[in-house]
Amino acid sequence: MLYQLALRNIWRNRRRTLLTLSAMIISSALLILALGIFSGMLRDMLASATEQYYGHLVISAKGYQDDRDMFRHFSMDKSIENVLKQDEITGYSQRLRSFGLLSHQQNSSPGEILGILPSQEQTVTGLQDSLIDGHYLTADDSNGAVLGSGLAQRLNVVPGDQLVFVTQAADGSIGNDLLLVRGIFSTGDIGYDNTLVLVPLAWLQQLLVLPGQIHEIAVKTDQPLNAAALAEQYRVNLPDALEILDWGEMLPQMREVVASYAVSRMIIVTILYLATGLGILNTFFMAVMERTRELGVLMALGMRPGQIRTMIMLETAIMGSLGLLCGAVVGIALSLYMALVGVDLSGTLTPITYAGGTILPRLHAVIEPANILIPSVCLLIVSLLAGFLPANRAAKMQPVVAIRDAI
Amino acid sequence: MALIELKSVTKIYPLGSQEVVAVDDFSLSIEAGEFSVLAGPSGSGKTTLLNLIGCLDQPTRGEIWLDGREVGHAKQKTLFELRLRKIGFIFQAYNLIPVLTAAENAEFTLMLQRVGKKQRRERVLRLFSLLGLDGLEHRKPSDLSGGQQQRVAIARAMASEPAVILADEPTASLDSHASEELLALMQRLNQEQGATFIFSSHDPLVISHAKRVVRLQDGHLESDQ
Repeated sequence: MLYQLALRNIWRNRRRTLLTLSAMIISSALLILALGIFSGMLRDMLASATEQYYGHLVISAKGYQDDRDMFRHFSMDKSIENVLKQDEITGYSQRLRSFGLLSHQQNSSPGEILGILPSQEQTVTGLQDSLIDGHYLTADDSNGAVLGSGLAQRLNVVPGDQLVFVTQAADGSIGNDLLLVRGIFSTGDIGYDNTLVLVPLAWLQQLLVLPGQIHEIAVKTDQPLNAAALAEQYRVNLPDALEILDWGEMLPQMREVVASYAVSRMIIVTILYLATGLGILNTFFMAVMERTRELGVLMALGMRPGQIRTMIMLETAIMGSLGLLCGAVVGIALSLYMALVGVDLSGTLTPITYAGGTILPRLHAVIEPANILIPSVCLLIVSLLAGFLPANRAAKMQPVVAIRDAI
Repeated sequence: MALIELKSVTKIYPLGSQEVVAVDDFSLSIEAGEFSVLAGPSGSGKTTLLNLIGCLDQPTRGEIWLDGREVGHAKQKTLFELRLRKIGFIFQAYNLIPVLTAAENAEFTLMLQRVGKKQRRERVLRLFSLLGLDGLEHRKPSDLSGGQQQRVAIARAMASEPAVILADEPTASLDSHASEELLALMQRLNQEQGATFIFSSHDPLVISHAKRVVRLQDGHLESDQ
């Protein structure tokens, strides 16, 4: 009975109900979309930080990531291979690193040379997708190089040009050799675009006189936000001389950004729903005030204050649930559009590097359950809170006062 | 024992810094099956008395007994229960619930009493037939005339078979023809069903139909005929 009454009461003033519902739907749908875009931005940043270079986990000799000392190298063994066979690991790449001078004709520039196995590296980083000229390294490439656009510009090279790389080898000699530019990438992160060069692992091992040696293994997992726990889990199975770091340890600022995201999300939800809640509260108060006499009659007929309160709370709960459902549907639809199509802003904005990650000039949403659940649940709570005050007021009314004009 | 007994009832309302004595040291006894009217000019205390008898208000002093129970100082919870089980109200402005149909309005107190759907529908249809409301069960109050709405209000008041039906100026919103019809109807219900009716009114038509006329003046009993 109370449910039926509540349902009919909602639709007695269709225009007001539709306006209130619209406010609920629009606010929750836009919030779902905004959080989706926010998550997309964060995902882009995290991906740029991890999937362009570091990976989600890095296995290296203890202390190597602090000083990048050439002599802290290691080779693959059975225990490392066993760790890399874990289900959560979707790819890994063995790397050898060197720093030296690159030159082409009269131009020279310092650079970071990363010796890789192309087929492995493509399972961890997405640099092959950032190529703007030429092509990526192939498995049989013996002296090819793929370099960042900023570096290529500085050296004034294009695919097909030759480069000379000079560095110190592990045996104390000066190693130098020719590289052939195969491709040029542009990630949007000037740190990589201005310094990074990918070369075949064997070429660099030979140049540095470190046959079969590597400096690190970059690992990609299917649970980037759970990387710290995975690192902890794998650590015990690795040789003592090695360490495994998650992206949060490699990029502490990025970890802070991710951690602050949850707080930022709740702040946004709170601000938006405070405004929406006040609107809903106003509407429900109006609806109750208008029905003061009717509520008095209901109490005169024997309806208890608790039933009055429940009836009005049911009205708000039904409205909140309707708003929640419709808002979620519209929000998911908008987020899906932004996930599949998105908005390209590269014509007006340039990429921004922040906390080790790159904010790409695009609006792109990702759909995460929390981004739908949090606005939806909060909308319901706000509706119930907004309904409680007028419901409580109505329940406390004296019937004789409420219907003074009637009897 | 009388169905309703008021013993030296006084009701004082605060009005700003002053007090208004609406009913002063008033005593009255009403037996079951009566068809009485509380008559008097505006401000004489009729509505206050009806509120007190109907457990909508409580006296400042004195006792009110309803069906053998002192209700003048009962707890709110008890008052709600008494209104639900013992009292039927007919309001001047009908006060039907606009979102319910005529039949649902009449069934409302039965729904609150948790009477089964079949039983309450049967009871209401019987009343509708008696009140000449056949075929109007599914109409909303806004689709009914004033007289029809007031008859639905009577059906609502009578559906739960209360000890007493209180009607405040029941003809105030009706024309003389509809008023005559309504009063004849209530008279018939009083005679055939044995329902106890107490009206408050200054309408000579209502007063002429009453078996007992209790006249009030300034909160005091003026006459009881």
